[in-house]
Amino acid sequence: MAATLAMPSASAVTSAATSAVTSAATSAATSPFTSATPLLVLDQVTRRFGGLVAVDSVSTSVGEGELVGLIGPNGAGKTTLFNCISGVVPPSSGQVRWRGQPLAGMKPYQIARLGIGRTFQNLRIFPNMTVFDNVSVGAIGREPNRPWSTFAGGRAEAARISAVSEQVLEQVGLAAVAGELAANLSYGKRKMLEIARALAGRPQLLILDEPAAGLNDTETAELAAFIRRLRADGTTVLLVEHDMGLVMSICTRVVVLAFGRKIADDVPEAVKRNPQVIEAYLGTEEDA
Amino acid sequence: MARHLNRWLILALVVVLVGLSMANKSYLNQVAITTMIFIVLTASLNYVTGTAGLLSLGHAAFFGVGAYAAALLSTKAGWSFWFTLPAAGVITAAIGIVVALPTMRLVSIYFAVATLGIGEMLYVTMLNWVGLTRGPMGIRSIPAIELPGAKALGLSSTEVSMLAVALVMLASLWAMHRLSHSFYGNSLRALREDDACADAMGIDIARLKLEAFAVSCFFAGIAGALFAHTTGYISPESFRFGESILVLSMAVIGGLGSLYGSVIGAVVLSVLPEALRELGSFRMIVVGLVLFLSILFLPRGLLGEVSALDLVRRQLRRAPAAGGRRRW
Repeated sequence: MAATLAMPSASAVTSAATSAVTSAATSAATSPFTSATPLLVLDQVTRRFGGLVAVDSVSTSVGEGELVGLIGPNGAGKTTLFNCISGVVPPSSGQVRWRGQPLAGMKPYQIARLGIGRTFQNLRIFPNMTVFDNVSVGAIGREPNRPWSTFAGGRAEAARISAVSEQVLEQVGLAAVAGELAANLSYGKRKMLEIARALAGRPQLLILDEPAAGLNDTETAELAAFIRRLRADGTTVLLVEHDMGLVMSICTRVVVLAFGRKIADDVPEAVKRNPQVIEAYLGTEEDA
Repeated sequence: MARHLNRWLILALVVVLVGLSMANKSYLNQVAITTMIFIVLTASLNYVTGTAGLLSLGHAAFFGVGAYAAALLSTKAGWSFWFTLPAAGVITAAIGIVVALPTMRLVSIYFAVATLGIGEMLYVTMLNWVGLTRGPMGIRSIPAIELPGAKALGLSSTEVSMLAVALVMLASLWAMHRLSHSFYGNSLRALREDDACADAMGIDIARLKLEAFAVSCFFAGIAGALFAHTTGYISPESFRFGESILVLSMAVIGGLGSLYGSVIGAVVLSVLPEALRELGSFRMIVVGLVLFLSILFLPRGLLGEVSALDLVRRQLRRAPAAGGRRRW
């Protein structure tokens, strides 16, 4: 992370004007500002906990096919913003819209069924279930899942769940351990299992909460390649990360939060040169 | 390994049950009938507690609701067993839904405490609504089970009872097996493992909890109807908290989350006290010891998917965090 940040020289920091040129040149194809169909729109989202404003009037959008990174130092409000999107915590004010439809008052499962898949920051797999059964839960969430379908008329549903689960296990490379108890997997594999479970819900938008946390360099590189492939296959990804390295290397656009406010929203090259971002991460030059 | 264990244990069980049923002593026959009823009851508790992870401490009361429904329908309305049986299941499920609706919003250990309260409420109702239930005097002369054509085959009434109970038990076990060994069952397990996470995967957990509870109550009611028609007499004393704990012990010894385990746990804890009858009142000490040792050395029971202690511990740990999530 430090290496990435060290890159912008002092001159680059002072001449922020050059960033605009760079961004225009490098992001012609994936410009955040010309996104034709925004999937997810955050409109002045604010979340207060008592006197603390965890998220302060954040507005941004995620367009179809984008790979957006949401970064910020510890306590910047990333997870709270994430929870506002996934319905775990309602925004105090402001609106989250999915394809133009406000998500206010919807429960997490309803939001998931719209096509927003997620993973968790602290691994939350189902340890006493097999790898296959874990993944199947993601697919079950998109089906009616009525008890009587286990007696009559549920064959097509079960076949769909099986097919999706097997295909996703193949995709993430866990097919060989499908019958293992999830608790017996290595940490890296459990992380992939969590992503697989979210993918089994066939999300149009996949929100990954700190997927690189706890992974070593090799695993992180594999994860980066995997996320790139996901995007190539047409999944829009919102990557919430604490670590800038991964985000800067794969994202098409980066949103930076600090103290609950959005301080930058641009292509990675521009964000790297943004003085406010550098200050938020490293402190001011005097401090350093 | 576990697969083979299943097969051998089930085989041993069938031998025990058939042996008891073939024995030419009505006492042993009665033990076989009671054991089969407890198998259904334990399996129904395992469905909601072992598979769906909702710790229920008032299950005997729902067993009682089924027993009273069947007893009253047959003694007052003159219905035959084959009509009171499904009616008892449906009535118990309905009452289960009504009383559980407000508790479904509670999480983990609070839910367990609420079911304890519900169980006591139902017990006190059975005891004090004398106009309907005759209170502590109980209901007597409940007609026995009748099978068409039994007379022609020369079956005694005990044999008819055993046959009918065995049939209903097998059908109930089959139904619960279908429900729990399916993708629907996987969604129940997800509920047990991490309900907030299941929610985020698109599973309507409030609906699923209610369904799990209703199904469990339905089969508890079925077991109750079997009990009423085979003993001929019921009173509130059979449906107290202690019975709930006994049934929970059966599920725990067999292994939470395992249908086979429930069958084994029910047989062990039904037959053991009878086998130890010569020890007099000391026999319950042996039963308690079996439970204690099984928790100590077999935390997952014989065949369980989850450790009973883990399940409770996890619920206790999750309780304060979940308290902050008041949206549903």
